[in-house]
Amino acid sequence: MDAVAGFFIGVRWQDIVDILLNSFLLFRFYVLFRGTTVLRVIAGIVFLWFAQRLAVFLGLIVTSWLFQGFTAVAALIIIIIFRNEIRAVLQARNLRGILWGSIRKATSTPVEIIVASAYELSKKRIGALMVIPGKDDLEDLLQKGIDWQGKISREMVISVFWPDNPVHDGAAIFEGERIVQVGAILPLSQRPDLPSRYGTRHRAALGLAEVSDALVIVVSEETGNVTLAHGGRFVGVSDNQALAHHLQAHLGAATDAQLRIKGENRHLAVAAGVSVLLVLAIWMSFTKGQDTLITYEVPVEYIKRDPGVSIVGTSTDTVRLHLSGASSLIQSIRPDQVKVRLDLGTAVVGRNAYTITLQSISLPPGVRVNRVEPAEVSVVLDVPVSLELPVQADWVGRLAPGLVMESVTVSPSKVRITGGTTQMNNLSTIYTEKIPLDKIRQSGAATVNLVLNPPSLTIDTESPRKVTVSYVIREREL
Amino acid sequence: MKNSLKILLACLFTLATGAGVLAQEGKAGSTESKGLVLVEAMMCEHAGDNGPCARAVTFSTTLGQVSCLTVFDQIEDRSFVFHSWYRQDTLATKKRLAIRPPRWATVSTMELREADKGPWRVEVNDASGRLLAILRFSVVD
Repeated sequence: MDAVAGFFIGVRWQDIVDILLNSFLLFRFYVLFRGTTVLRVIAGIVFLWFAQRLAVFLGLIVTSWLFQGFTAVAALIIIIIFRNEIRAVLQARNLRGILWGSIRKATSTPVEIIVASAYELSKKRIGALMVIPGKDDLEDLLQKGIDWQGKISREMVISVFWPDNPVHDGAAIFEGERIVQVGAILPLSQRPDLPSRYGTRHRAALGLAEVSDALVIVVSEETGNVTLAHGGRFVGVSDNQALAHHLQAHLGAATDAQLRIKGENRHLAVAAGVSVLLVLAIWMSFTKGQDTLITYEVPVEYIKRDPGVSIVGTSTDTVRLHLSGASSLIQSIRPDQVKVRLDLGTAVVGRNAYTITLQSISLPPGVRVNRVEPAEVSVVLDVPVSLELPVQADWVGRLAPGLVMESVTVSPSKVRITGGTTQMNNLSTIYTEKIPLDKIRQSGAATVNLVLNPPSLTIDTESPRKVTVSYVIREREL
Repeated sequence: MKNSLKILLACLFTLATGAGVLAQEGKAGSTESKGLVLVEAMMCEHAGDNGPCARAVTFSTTLGQVSCLTVFDQIEDRSFVFHSWYRQDTLATKKRLAIRPPRWATVSTMELREADKGPWRVEVNDASGRLLAILRFSVVD
């Protein structure tokens, strides 16, 4: 009970949004791709991933490596092999359809039009094969079908099977109120006991009915008879009313529509619940996993500083953050995700002390701060002033015996420096870096850097960063 | 007594040779004030020893001392000048030196220790505090 309470206490509103958003995305993914083989392959990949994690857990080096390779390649395979399915989903629906579109299959198959078309074809002695799918996916059973997506009308059905039409020999696939494919090749029945009056068209209709729950309407070109193939057998049709009855029974229209909608809703509710549970499990594995501690050295950033003042000193430039969180989160932290920012909006000229609070620290979600070192930072602000100061050479070492450095000139002799008023008041000279005397044997010159102390001083842009020190050496008079 | 004699000799030599060359910053002729003229200022290894001044800008601590020589002309009354010795920007010592009409040379000397290594400067001011010259040098190994 305490564990449950602890879980809910630690949950932020961002976590709830995170879980709900990803649950919705997973649910929509399922809705869009259900019935296709994409979902089955993804389930396989998920299995591979779990197998790889298990292999890692058990310390099976080669096996885990192998599963890891399979998983990586499988993700690529999904995109390549199922590009058509993915494209079909994306093309068939606009953005609203993808995110919130109706997910019920169209049930308003125009039975009357199909019946009328079948008997019109029968009357004209035009052969036809019309497939009304059931719940089974026919994708793997059909060959060489041509995408059509035409709305069902009597004229269109007749034109599809019109003898001069290049696709009239194949089957037309009906889904909802559309003919989705024409010219499809159905698997032929291999039954040896079929009467000889049944030709290839009937054999194809029976072939599909044997391997799926689809209903196939066959119109004989020779006799004009209308026959149904369903459940692996032929069903005789006496007239158009009988055909309509069979079609309605197959489509489950009218009478059990409410039941089907209820069943569909129940199915979707279960899918939504499973989506939430899955995402919740993934979220918990990320955020509620074993706690890991890490120490980060983070530079302190100062924001909202009055442009009229400058920072001339800080007690520290970095702070150490002792962080904790799930190991997966801790390991994935990037340096740019951890920031310490101090708001200098209320700072005054002089020394300002700040306590580093949680509000000053930016962290990735799920990572906590246990301790900050140092917890307090002092910042010295001053009004910047710019002065031209003389440059002096800073010699070290020792000249060779018998030599004297008689004079030194520095060019330029002055540089313009900017710093805080207090600092600049105590500053009268800028020194060069240390210049060694030991190797000097005669008069010459050296180009050297300037040393700014304190480092918060800056050399103005018009002044050089380096100066030339010229020196005159003479021999010591005995 | 011996040091005073050395300084006197240096003054006489300077007076005899006329204006020399000022070391580092400032020109002697440009530092006139109510008649007082700084005609020469330099850092020396041995002011007064074996000649007027062993002029240099780097001084080894093994030398034991460093001196600042200043020569003034057109002195109207008895007065004094200051030699302020700075190690980097910190005042180490400030020496008050008397000058007498019409021409006078003054020397201030500082003992050198190991801890004195680094850049130095001597600021020369008149009695009113006006800066007459800055001499820069380094104490080295």
